[in-house]
Amino acid sequence: MASLPKRIIKETERLVSDPVPGITAIPHEDNLRYFEVTIEGPEQSPYENGVFGLELFLPDDYPMEAPKVRFLTKIYHPNIDRLGRICLDVLKTNWSPALQIRTVLLSVQALLASPNPNDPLANDVAEDWLQHEDAAIAKAREWTKLYATRQ
Amino acid sequence: MSTRRDLRNHIHELYQENGASNALLQMLSQLIPESMQEELLQDEKQGCPEHYVDSLPRVNKNKIEDHETCSICCCRYKEDEYPLVVELPHCGHCFDLECVAVWLSKRTTCPLCRDDVLSHKPKVDVSQVEMEDDWGMYG
Repeated sequence: MASLPKRIIKETERLVSDPVPGITAIPHEDNLRYFEVTIEGPEQSPYENGVFGLELFLPDDYPMEAPKVRFLTKIYHPNIDRLGRICLDVLKTNWSPALQIRTVLLSVQALLASPNPNDPLANDVAEDWLQHEDAAIAKAREWTKLYATRQ
Repeated sequence: MSTRRDLRNHIHELYQENGASNALLQMLSQLIPESMQEELLQDEKQGCPEHYVDSLPRVNKNKIEDHETCSICCCRYKEDEYPLVVELPHCGHCFDLECVAVWLSKRTTCPLCRDDVLSHKPKVDVSQVEMEDDWGMYG
């Protein structure tokens, strides 16, 4: 494997020394491009009090290519599908090499605070969200309790 | 007309029968019209022409502050004894030439403000230019 670019080393150091509130990202011992991530559910969202596990991988072309991010914890959200894949513009077409791991994770946290059922990835969840919003939010809250409780 | 859900179930069945065989992937790829397949491929190649990147104005070393960093590699420009820094003409954002050249070979946006760098026509001021009377008369 090619040596780790200076930028990745700098980003990793800063994630540890100056972490984003409510977010942790720890590189894997064997692969410094692979991060184990946790994101706390934002207050006053259905994900409040939940801690969600994610994985983040920096492809060889990073930062010319966006990091790959996926939820590992089950979550009921219109922009996150059953496999944990996330529908978020900065992870796809709106990626820019001036963005960083921390800004991407902040965007994911913001997505939890404001689900967008009009741009769905999980179609059935989005339909549910649009038609019975209260019930969908209750379900999201229930799943948070069931699957995203801090161990 | 089959609903999206029917289609999904059908694909799920096929997947269960065949596993991750190529047949299923091939079938799925046929769902994308050929014209769009090309578009998708082209999309990946869209970037600035090489001559555009080569023509970007350089930033003089003594105009670079010691603490200024390139937002692509996150390193201070002055870490390099001979920093090669360029400025995007319209928005004025600066980057290491080496860093921004890679990005602009794939895309046409400024990494910092997403300004489409190719959307601006170069401004050539012709008001001060006088046509010479003997234009083209002498070799």
